[in-house]
Amino acid sequence: MIRYALRYLNLMVLTLLVLSVVSFALAYWFPGDPLTNLSGIQEATPQTERFLAEKYATEHNLFVQYWHYMQLVFSGDWGVSFSSGLPLYDEITLALPATLELCAYAFLLSLIVGIPLGFIAGLKHYTGTDYTVLSLSVFSYSIPAFWLALILILIFCLQLGWLPLSGRINLLFDVPHQTGFIVIDILLSDIQNKSAALNDAFRHLVLPTISIALINTAITVRLARRSIIDVMSKGYIIAARSRGLTNNQILWKHGVRNTLLPILPLIAAQITTLITNAMVIETIFSWPGIGNWLIQAIYQRDYPAIRAGMLAVSSFVVILTVSIELITRLLDPTRDKNERGTI
Amino acid sequence: MPMLDIKNLTLEIDTPVGWVKALDRINLTLEKGEVRALVGESGSGKSLIVRAIVGSVPDNWRLTADRLSWKGESLLSMNAEQRRKIMRKEIAVVFQNPQASLDPSATLGDQLEESIPAHLLAGKWFWQRNAERKALASKVLHKVGIKDHQDCLQKFPHEVARDVNHKMMIAMALVSEPELLIADDPTRGMEATTKVQLLKLLTRMNQTKELSILFISHDLLAISSMANTMTVLYCGQTVESGKMKQLRKRPLHPYTKALLDSAPSFRKELPVKSDLSALDGTIPTLQHLPIGCRLGPRCPRAQKECVKVPAVRRIHEHYYSCHYPLHRDKL
Repeated sequence: MIRYALRYLNLMVLTLLVLSVVSFALAYWFPGDPLTNLSGIQEATPQTERFLAEKYATEHNLFVQYWHYMQLVFSGDWGVSFSSGLPLYDEITLALPATLELCAYAFLLSLIVGIPLGFIAGLKHYTGTDYTVLSLSVFSYSIPAFWLALILILIFCLQLGWLPLSGRINLLFDVPHQTGFIVIDILLSDIQNKSAALNDAFRHLVLPTISIALINTAITVRLARRSIIDVMSKGYIIAARSRGLTNNQILWKHGVRNTLLPILPLIAAQITTLITNAMVIETIFSWPGIGNWLIQAIYQRDYPAIRAGMLAVSSFVVILTVSIELITRLLDPTRDKNERGTI
Repeated sequence: MPMLDIKNLTLEIDTPVGWVKALDRINLTLEKGEVRALVGESGSGKSLIVRAIVGSVPDNWRLTADRLSWKGESLLSMNAEQRRKIMRKEIAVVFQNPQASLDPSATLGDQLEESIPAHLLAGKWFWQRNAERKALASKVLHKVGIKDHQDCLQKFPHEVARDVNHKMMIAMALVSEPELLIADDPTRGMEATTKVQLLKLLTRMNQTKELSILFISHDLLAISSMANTMTVLYCGQTVESGKMKQLRKRPLHPYTKALLDSAPSFRKELPVKSDLSALDGTIPTLQHLPIGCRLGPRCPRAQKECVKVPAVRRIHEHYYSCHYPLHRDKL
């Protein structure tokens, strides 16, 4: 157990180290003065420039500079944005949870819909149900997320007018920022019309969540279907059937666990795709998340913001992926299989 | 009336080259309290018979039989629920590959307790029944020769040695107190002392509880000590069946004789470096089955007539299907 934890921790630390080096190098690779790119302060007075040079240790060699940079990163001083002049740390901690909220709901939706559908298709494989589910999944897998978002907007916002077009919540509601997850924030807050605000937040969530979740659902369906077909033809299922267990007992006691164990890491690996899709979808729905924020930063050549945003997003993805890997490894009793000697 | 009665069981498998008869008109009967050996080399369809009896036949297989009945009731025409109940209470199976037949993600204890049918438990409440299950499980483990039951029950299948898994499978079959035990090669890969223990256990169960056993193996030495009757299978056809003693003393089918001769002999007068006795060639694959008697191409006594499937002939309790059996002189 501890060996695995250490191994994954090692992997994570090394990857993060590479990422931090790249983000530091970005300050030099971007056009302009590295010091400006690092701090985000343009047109500094000679006094501040001296102060900044000392802060980022620019007269020392690159290693010392990197060391100082890392210290600042860990203390939460990520520089300020070119365009807004606000500290990047505050901006990112506002934007990132919005993306995560969207991703979390989309991921949950894809699991809740995808796994049962995959199971149904797999248990009735090579029948009409199976072919229907499969073709639906191929169809939805082939739709580009951004195009789907546009179509959904066209139908549900512009034609039918059922759902709001953009944003996270109606501006009428003033929800104080606490966790960054809008639904939780509303529940925690003591604003008036709580239920109205909640309802409004959900209405804003529907379309972006669906457009992000669709591709992932399709993938989950296919993974679950394939896996359960494999499992249901295994020897232990035949053996269980020969013991006279009912179909339900076989499915729940032996089928589900063995089906999910091998595909959990695969499903979890889809989270990165999900986040990527979310960043595109956010731009379309003007969702105040990190993707929208980063794309704005790129449009405005806001180099400090690009550097810090890239570091934050990629570190988050790396930490998430490694922890999921570790958790699935710890959950699965068959993974640490060493061939035992036989007598 | 025999307990298990199989007549003309045919199993066809859909392959790219068309439907192939993997089992061709198999006959097999089993009386109550009888131990029948089912022998044949690998690929002769022994395990397919097990799957046909158990009822786990995939959709792309076609199963037909004149009779496939259990205590007079046809297994083929009854519904899934009735069949399930019979499998739960009356028939138990030990599969060939214990590693694959145990759920890798459940502990051995869970799987053993799960195979205890409800009618063996007297407790009214679930905690009473759980305690009974635990007691039964450890008892049956001691029977099959696992001493440290506490430790073993908590392990996952991949955490214990292969022969422990094997014993576990046997324990899972015996714990439901079946009337028929179908043991598919239960002694394979076991060390000699364990094998003897197991055979003794099965013999004792047969004598005290009238457990009928269908013992599938190619280990003739192990079988001949305990089986009353024997059915010999070649390439999906029953070639000969009858009383064990008779078959051993005077086999009528050339294949049975070859099989008996192929058991390693330790006679003193055996010449140095003499060949092991074996038939020429190998068992044909499913795609290249010969017509007629499937032993034809390998049979030392084969003649022109052998391209037709021989009918089952009988001398008292001794059945054989051969055009030129050994008791007739060579033509």
